[in-house]
Amino acid sequence: MSEVTWTQVVDLFGYGILAGLIAGAVCPLVGCLLFVRRTSFYGLALPQFAAAGVACGFVAMPWWIDHVGIGDLDLEQAMGDSHAAMNYHLAWAVLFTFGGLLSLAWLNRRGGSEINRVAAAFALATAATVLFAHSSVFGEVYVHELLQGMILAIDRHQLEMVAVLFGAILLLFLVFHRDFLLVSFDRETARAMKKRVLPLETLLVVVFGLCVSIGTMTVGPMILFGLLVLPPLAARHWARSMTGFYVLSSALGVAAVLLGVFASLRLDWPTGPTVVAAAGLELVPGIGTRRRSG
Amino acid sequence: MSEHLLELEGVDLGYGGEPVLRGVDLVVATGDFLGILGPNGAGKTTLFRGLLGLVPPLAGRVHRAPVPIGYVPQRESLDAIFPVTVEEVVHMGAYGRLRGLRRLGREERELARRCLQRVGLVERARQPFSALSGGQRQRALIARALMEQPRLLLLDEPTSGVDRDAEQRILDLLRELHADGGLAVLLVSHDLALVRSVVDEVLWVADGRVRRGTPGEILRPEVLGGRLLGGGAAAEVGA
Repeated sequence: MSEVTWTQVVDLFGYGILAGLIAGAVCPLVGCLLFVRRTSFYGLALPQFAAAGVACGFVAMPWWIDHVGIGDLDLEQAMGDSHAAMNYHLAWAVLFTFGGLLSLAWLNRRGGSEINRVAAAFALATAATVLFAHSSVFGEVYVHELLQGMILAIDRHQLEMVAVLFGAILLLFLVFHRDFLLVSFDRETARAMKKRVLPLETLLVVVFGLCVSIGTMTVGPMILFGLLVLPPLAARHWARSMTGFYVLSSALGVAAVLLGVFASLRLDWPTGPTVVAAAGLELVPGIGTRRRSG
Repeated sequence: MSEHLLELEGVDLGYGGEPVLRGVDLVVATGDFLGILGPNGAGKTTLFRGLLGLVPPLAGRVHRAPVPIGYVPQRESLDAIFPVTVEEVVHMGAYGRLRGLRRLGREERELARRCLQRVGLVERARQPFSALSGGQRQRALIARALMEQPRLLLLDEPTSGVDRDAEQRILDLLRELHADGGLAVLLVSHDLALVRSVVDEVLWVADGRVRRGTPGEILRPEVLGGRLLGGGAAAEVGA
């Protein structure tokens, strides 16, 4: 790293850093809603569903190219083409994420422990990811590299996709954040105020699902876990209002990406786990303060 | 002349097609101050939710005047994990009027301040809602309901779990709102003494029916048929 200047780093990895910053700003906003609805564990399970979908996509790719086709590309070309391959894998990630969400929603209607069910789903999705990766003709290493969150390798097309899709999620969040807060904080009052509670809750699930699918495909499930769960957890300790909670979570997400990317380049560590470790460090001041005060 | 705000004609209310209450005829008009009372499991909450429109009628007709109705839920149903301020909770009362990216305007912020002033919490506007006492939270929820500028206020167990002083403040507030602003008030309570001291009329819910009368007419042992709501309450009724 010592021979490379920061200008060169920006030239080399600018798209990836920018994509990471966008994810760092948007994912914690969605994570805030997961947190206050006491469903943060979905922030762990859903990216794993998406990862299983991506891995399944790798297994199915030869068959898909033979029978359906990905833009007239052969297998090797499809692997090297970031446009077609990314759209293909995103479709698999969306399919598995929403499939998992619908399955959990259906099972939750039957009562019982939701958290145990999500934990079981997480375990199964993790196993499925490994098994699909193992069965893929491209080999586990390729699949795991993608899923580990090699954000620095993101190209211009992927950055555009991240910007457009996370931009759409941000817009939905800005338009509906008051309604999302009301139906999450006080569902009965929302109903009494004639809010369309069920469509709003469905939209909230769509926002979760899209964020997870896009995040898994671009920054990888590991960074996504970290950005959905850790910044809101750190921010909750300091936030004194809901607006402050959103702003601080988003700022901590951006800070975690910046710090994580910087540390991974300095120390030559893998980017994904380093970003998550940086987000984990943000919890430390809160833990220290709690100890002193309590 | 009083205006009908809610009108139920021959209404059956229940869940899963099974009526809990049958043939309810009821008018709630401007100037009313009503308490819903009854034994546990008799259908008080079903009636309350039916009046709010949260439970659709199985039979009969419910007519709601096109006026805002304020709802004050039980504060225990609200999770302290939300880092909302008192002001943010009160602002929620205006969410029904806000669409899309439109932010809360100056008028709405001023209205929120007045509502907080009305319930005596203006100096706590920036404090976390979860840091308030039970009685203060209840008053904050009343302020939120007032943000809707309602003609009718429906309250679910407004004094449950609060101390005597807090209970008195809430009751005084409801009396003021009713007397000064002409707000019709309907509350559900388990507390016979409270209901007797504050409401003009009682809706007694028992045996699948709703009976209306003054506290003097309803809160008599022969009407209640011994199905009282606890020792303290029984002593009050007998007193």
